[in-house]
Amino acid sequence: MARSSQTAAETSESHRGRPIIYRAEGLTKIYGEGDNAVHALRGVDFEIAEGEMLVLLGPSGSGKSTLVNILGGLDHASAGKVWFYDRDITLFDDAALTEYRRQNVGFVFQFYNLVASLTARENVSLITEISDAPMDPVEALALVGLDHRLDHFPAQLSGGEQQRVAIARAIAKRPKVLLCDEPTGALDSLTGTRVLAALDQVNRELGTTTFIITHNAVIAGMADEVMLFGDGRISGSRHNATRVPPMELSW
Amino acid sequence: MRRFRSTLTVKLFRDLWRLRAQSVAIALVIAAGVGTVVMAAGLIRSLEATRADYYDRYRFADVFAPLVRAPEAVMAQVRRIPGVAAADSRVTAYATLDVAHVAEPVSARVHSVPPAGGSALNRLVLRSGRFPEPGSPRDVVASEPFAKAARLRLGDPIKAVIYGKQIGLRLVGTVLSPEYVYALAPGQIVPDNERYGILWMDREPLAAALDRKQAFNDLIVRTTPGTVPEDVARRLDVLLASYGGVGAYTRKQQISDRFISSEIDQLRTMALVLPPVFLLVAAFLLNIVLARLVDTEREVIGLLKAFGFRNFSIMSHYVQLALLLSLGGFALGIVLGIWLGRALAGVYQHFYTFPFLTFRAGLDVHLIAAASTLVPVMLGAATAAWRSARLTPAEAMRPPAPPDYAGRLTGNLARALGPDEPSRIILRGLLRRPVRSGLSVLGLAAALALYIATESAPASIERMIGLGFGGANRSDLVVTFAEPRDANALHELERIPGVLAVQPFRATEARFRAGHRTMREGLSGVEAGGGLERVIDIEGNALPPPRMGALVSGRMAQTLGVGRGDVIEVRVTEGEQPQLSLPVVGVLDSPFGASATLDRAALNRLMREGDVLSGAYLAVDARQLPRIRARLKESPMVAGISSSASALRSIRATIQENIGTMTLFYGGLAVLVVAGVVYNGARISLSEQARDLASLRVLGFRRREVSFILLGEQALLVVLSLPLGMLGGIALWRYLSSRFNSDLFTIPFVIDTRVLGQGVLVVAVAAVGTAFLINRRVDRLDLVRALKTRE
Repeated sequence: MARSSQTAAETSESHRGRPIIYRAEGLTKIYGEGDNAVHALRGVDFEIAEGEMLVLLGPSGSGKSTLVNILGGLDHASAGKVWFYDRDITLFDDAALTEYRRQNVGFVFQFYNLVASLTARENVSLITEISDAPMDPVEALALVGLDHRLDHFPAQLSGGEQQRVAIARAIAKRPKVLLCDEPTGALDSLTGTRVLAALDQVNRELGTTTFIITHNAVIAGMADEVMLFGDGRISGSRHNATRVPPMELSW
Repeated sequence: MRRFRSTLTVKLFRDLWRLRAQSVAIALVIAAGVGTVVMAAGLIRSLEATRADYYDRYRFADVFAPLVRAPEAVMAQVRRIPGVAAADSRVTAYATLDVAHVAEPVSARVHSVPPAGGSALNRLVLRSGRFPEPGSPRDVVASEPFAKAARLRLGDPIKAVIYGKQIGLRLVGTVLSPEYVYALAPGQIVPDNERYGILWMDREPLAAALDRKQAFNDLIVRTTPGTVPEDVARRLDVLLASYGGVGAYTRKQQISDRFISSEIDQLRTMALVLPPVFLLVAAFLLNIVLARLVDTEREVIGLLKAFGFRNFSIMSHYVQLALLLSLGGFALGIVLGIWLGRALAGVYQHFYTFPFLTFRAGLDVHLIAAASTLVPVMLGAATAAWRSARLTPAEAMRPPAPPDYAGRLTGNLARALGPDEPSRIILRGLLRRPVRSGLSVLGLAAALALYIATESAPASIERMIGLGFGGANRSDLVVTFAEPRDANALHELERIPGVLAVQPFRATEARFRAGHRTMREGLSGVEAGGGLERVIDIEGNALPPPRMGALVSGRMAQTLGVGRGDVIEVRVTEGEQPQLSLPVVGVLDSPFGASATLDRAALNRLMREGDVLSGAYLAVDARQLPRIRARLKESPMVAGISSSASALRSIRATIQENIGTMTLFYGGLAVLVVAGVVYNGARISLSEQARDLASLRVLGFRRREVSFILLGEQALLVVLSLPLGMLGGIALWRYLSSRFNSDLFTIPFVIDTRVLGQGVLVVAVAAVGTAFLINRRVDRLDLVRALKTRE
């Protein structure tokens, strides 16, 4: 559960008895200095329970990508703390962040970022080879409905298919958390809902905590929790009692 | 339009700044090529110009005709021969000198001083002192290199034995002569200025010593322009036959000139073979850099075209960029070439005694260098510029289609070969661009080949020396008599305390003829069964000296156009000048010399002279060497002693000086080429794969895992280039060593495996060093940007 709460630090167990995967306190990110300083995050606090499906909603520049970059270990916070379980990742150096990403984080990008010279299966193997207890690549691709396109190169796949390969690649190592930055941003509505369905299925079946960044409010319906971003702050949050199946979403 | 163009110019310089590291790498490779061109072409020009100028100013003869004795009146007939512009008679003798600071007897050639006045031929350049007083029996001038090496000062006495007569001489001046730019004693392959000197004295006393008053034994001719010197030589042969003419020869056959020509030929070979390697590599590097630039700028190109820029302006933009990129390399190459040319001119000045030798790279040399830069630049820029022109605005503004790797070769071959995904990324990357990958391999292989070929020279020359001094000649001393002696002389040598073994030899000069082809060379009689001097071939196998007929050198066989079974006519140019008919029993590829060899007893018999020797090889007790030398120096019959050790030393020193510089230079250039290819290759890969590599970093790949993908490609190219480079180097050295052979020596083809190993090491170190530079950029990959941008 996500809360903008002053008491977040006091608890380590969220509602429904699930452990807290992320806890942030006064998380701040400032780019530049002096008059040119841009406050991307202005002191954000929250707690997130394991296995949640979260949608981060907000306009460009509202701070949602900055937050995900810090959670994903791609960027350093200017101030504040972020705990991943009981480890403060703001204290990690670059090598430790690499190991953290390698073991725990799966990424899905807006433009898929598949390696063009590898087939679908190989793009997934690329990651399973560096993981401790990965899924079989075929199994991961089957999960996103692409077990019939194993030996196709990215150039032979549609955008939606490429994004589903990217999801298979992200989840094949059984990450604790899946970070998706505008995963449907480059896709049409129908293809986009298929990709979201894949994410929904992964979240339900594997229990992977999933963050979806989007500026598309329709997508918020499929989340457990919705965090609204504005001007570097969490401007609000809401809990969906029931998650709308992605195939019913349309924009 | 004006404004547009000036904005493009701004872009030009910004691009140049952005590409500065790659520009430097390309510029260095271009500089290497241009430097070699300027150095070699400049030296060729300088040597040719200096030689022509020197010969002209000091009226160097075109035809030389040694003879036994002719009255001065014959000169009138000589001057009437068509094509003769000027002719001088002179007196020439061999002499043995006793010089204070030289332990061994010194061999010398003594000429009569050219007559005073500007019309004399082979005039001398006075370097110090004065010319001999007319009529003075003692005044003598010496060649400057000899005077220096023998530490002779003006006024020093020199004891000479000429034609068996003791003559006391006094040094009054030092000179240089166009006839002795390269002063080589008979039978030697490098100049030994300490033990071989050239002297000039007044004609009168020299003629008196030789019993040739009012007569001459040497004749030099300058021909009129347009005359074929060989025609004059032929007419002189006819005229001088009854005066003991031993065969006129032209400047082309004159030993000193022949050496300068062969040096120029070597430079020309270098200039033709080596710079193209660098310049083609530079063209390739320019091409990949520009092609990548056009790829990344396709949207800009589309935009410019949409705004109405013509194809021509856009193409010329990239061509200008290529020109500017290479300008620095061109300038650097000119400076490098001039510096190197000057350094080598200094080395030449040491070996070839010109009164002046300035390295001049004239306008023509600069134009050649400019042309040889421009060609590869245009070659490199052409396809990239053409690609920019072919893009339509609409197409250019769309992102490029993702590269298709589905081809059977790239897909399946890489799957079969690559053990894991990162290696498949590398393999497919290479296979998808076979031309670029192939050219990279060729460029790297060329660098290795260059290194191996240039570094193989010392091993081959060492082998040549080994064959000469361990295989053929195993003696400690070689004693040459002033004139042929009988067997008593041999016994005299045997009786000297400390002499362990002696082996006689018979050597004479002769004129060889087969059909209409002739040449003057040595005819050598080797003792059968002797252990100190043997006949060996280039493989090091000892052969018995033939009793019927002669073994001829490969060079002689080639010049005369003869082979086994042919008969050559030989006219000995000594004593009674007997005529011999010698069947060729074999062609001998021997490291030294271009002579004909047969059994000494057989030669004695053919010359109807009994048991006669020209000298002997000695094995001596090393502890007694100084005493033996002193004893030999006193002996009136000994004209020269050479020690194998000192000959070896002087050959090695010459080689060190000459080849050491070049080896270092070309080794450095090989490093440059490797660094240039690897650096540009990795930079381009990095630019093409930056987003992929950053994505992999985001997905949890460690730095070294990403470096593996980036640099593995270059490493694979380097590994692939190694066998090719080794084969290429071996082939290149085979070619170069065959081109470097001269009349006096044949360079055996030797490849030292250590050189191969060193070459591989040099390439590997250059590649790893360059990779290290590039690898720092992996740390700077922008991970966040990778998430947001499409390629």
